[in-house]
Amino acid sequence: MFKMIGFLLFGGLFGFLLSRAGATTYDFYANLFLFEDMRLAIVIGSAVAVGAPGVWLLKRARAKALFDGKPIAFKPKGMKRELPVGAVLLGLGWGIAGACPGTVMAMLGEGKFASLFVIAGVLAGTYAYGLANNRNVTPLPTRDDSKSNAA
Amino acid sequence: MDNVALWVDETILGGVIGGAAIGLFVVLFFWTTGKAVGASTAYGNVCAIGSRMPFFRGGDYEKILNWRLMFWLGLPLGGLVAMLTSPDAVSRGPFYMGERYETLFAAMLPGGGTLWLKGGMLFVGGTLLGLGSRMAGGCQSGHSICGMSQLNPPSLVASIGFFAGGIIAVQVMFRVAGVV
Repeated sequence: MFKMIGFLLFGGLFGFLLSRAGATTYDFYANLFLFEDMRLAIVIGSAVAVGAPGVWLLKRARAKALFDGKPIAFKPKGMKRELPVGAVLLGLGWGIAGACPGTVMAMLGEGKFASLFVIAGVLAGTYAYGLANNRNVTPLPTRDDSKSNAA
Repeated sequence: MDNVALWVDETILGGVIGGAAIGLFVVLFFWTTGKAVGASTAYGNVCAIGSRMPFFRGGDYEKILNWRLMFWLGLPLGGLVAMLTSPDAVSRGPFYMGERYETLFAAMLPGGGTLWLKGGMLFVGGTLLGLGSRMAGGCQSGHSICGMSQLNPPSLVASIGFFAGGIIAVQVMFRVAGVV
């Protein structure tokens, strides 16, 4: 229970940092893709410039997660055939909506209610992916509706 | 609300500080929780609430109320605090999207664009975000920030794709509308 609140607070911190970095400011996206202001590209570059050495240090120290004491399992996302096309599609949506799946939620909190249309769209797109890939689901689904999903 | 405060208004310093803070967050999150930052899978959790499809009943969605959903629900709280602590915060209308996009929509949509036309476009954009993030296996948070911090090659491929798409969409829209 406390861990779940912890994740909620972490999400809050992340949203706050996205805002302060300018990632929830629509104009910056237009300016970026029109090559007039590279601020958000600098944000990503700087994040990786700090994050990569930090991750390396954690790996080197074989650090254990504070939440559960287990060694941190670094399992980066793998390559899929549909990844490049999916990435471009996401980029197109990014340019149209001026937001991404994470920043749009922070924008909602800021009172930028255009985000509601985008969020509805992200849900629809996610659902559509589920529809399209439903027959590929193996092994058998594990969630049992008779059991409660409460945390 | 508009005009959320930034660490620093100037582009380079503001970008460097803003990014560094996010990079520190990624490391802190790994160290504390043992998990990778990500924002797009949670939308599947929401879909799973209302769906009986096998796709949404296992794997990442086995337990709907999981850490990803909690993290995702926390994001708006951060935005709220960010805006509440912004001295120059101002309301330019609940659906205002900044000068550039507003100019674009006014020029691009018939009749200057009603709210529903604009909303329709945003819904389409969102659908591309949703579909694209599932196909790519992540979004800018998961791939560009967290994935590239792990020096993960697929995340670099994904990030290049994200940027290519963004550039194409904005360049085409703004040029066709004549508001470049």
